[in-house]
Amino acid sequence: MENKLEIAWFTLALLTIFAFFLGHFNTINSSIVAILLISTFIKGQVVIDYFMGLKNVRLGYRLIPTLWLFVVLSLIATAYYLPITHY
Amino acid sequence: MPRHLSIKAPYPPGDFAIWIIIYVELLTFSLLFIGYAFSRRAEVELFNASQLVLNQTSGFINTLILITSSYFIVKAVQSIKNMTKQTTQSANSVASKWLLSAMFLGFLFLLMKVSEFTQIFGMGINLSTNTFFMFYLLLTMFHFMHVMLGLIILGNIYQKTKRVGYTTDDYSGIETGASYWHLVDLLWIVLFPLIYIIR
Repeated sequence: MENKLEIAWFTLALLTIFAFFLGHFNTINSSIVAILLISTFIKGQVVIDYFMGLKNVRLGYRLIPTLWLFVVLSLIATAYYLPITHY
Repeated sequence: MPRHLSIKAPYPPGDFAIWIIIYVELLTFSLLFIGYAFSRRAEVELFNASQLVLNQTSGFINTLILITSSYFIVKAVQSIKNMTKQTTQSANSVASKWLLSAMFLGFLFLLMKVSEFTQIFGMGINLSTNTFFMFYLLLTMFHFMHVMLGLIILGNIYQKTKRVGYTTDDYSGIETGASYWHLVDLLWIVLFPLIYIIR
């Protein structure tokens, strides 16, 4: 597709607006956080693939930032969802 | 060529050294992101209350600014990569305009952050106010410094395009600088929801 880059920018802008409205209207709860983290993963992957240009590079180099993104967001989710115990 | 037969480039764009730097930066920031997320567990109410002080709209606009500047940088790189020996001058000229637009947005980002910091410091908040603000200031100021460095790099690339310095055989420099700028964008994409939105 000719305008992949424009679609990438539009996706990023749309997901950013989505995140902002979730926060702005105070709709954040535990299920929304999961959606927010998934949308952050998609945004990060779009930057990695289409802006950094790693989509057409050997898989190993693309996997490093993808795995980084996955691990960081998973740990953020773990920290958020793990029950808090008070001693 | 059919998609499944397309050949992948052996190395990422730009100098390989920048990718080592990028991976190290990702690791460094990940420690701060994860540190923030787990520290929040100990003081959820404090983090949620402190977060209300932040200007979400400013964080949102800054995200749009960074993704748009990243888009402009890709356009600059594309114009250089797609040039022929006959179009070297015009390609450098087009790239310089995209770069200038991206740099303008980068400066706008810095201006907005300075205004946000001024507001925060004006309230008497500093690194030792509480754990939330320690992480907020560490993360955003560290990122701020990366944006400044990115702008210096882009400034140098801009100068080179003005001198028609990129040719069909030599354009690794612009790819290197672009990769660094996209790193700055990628980091902010994680930082924005983590610090400004999630509660």
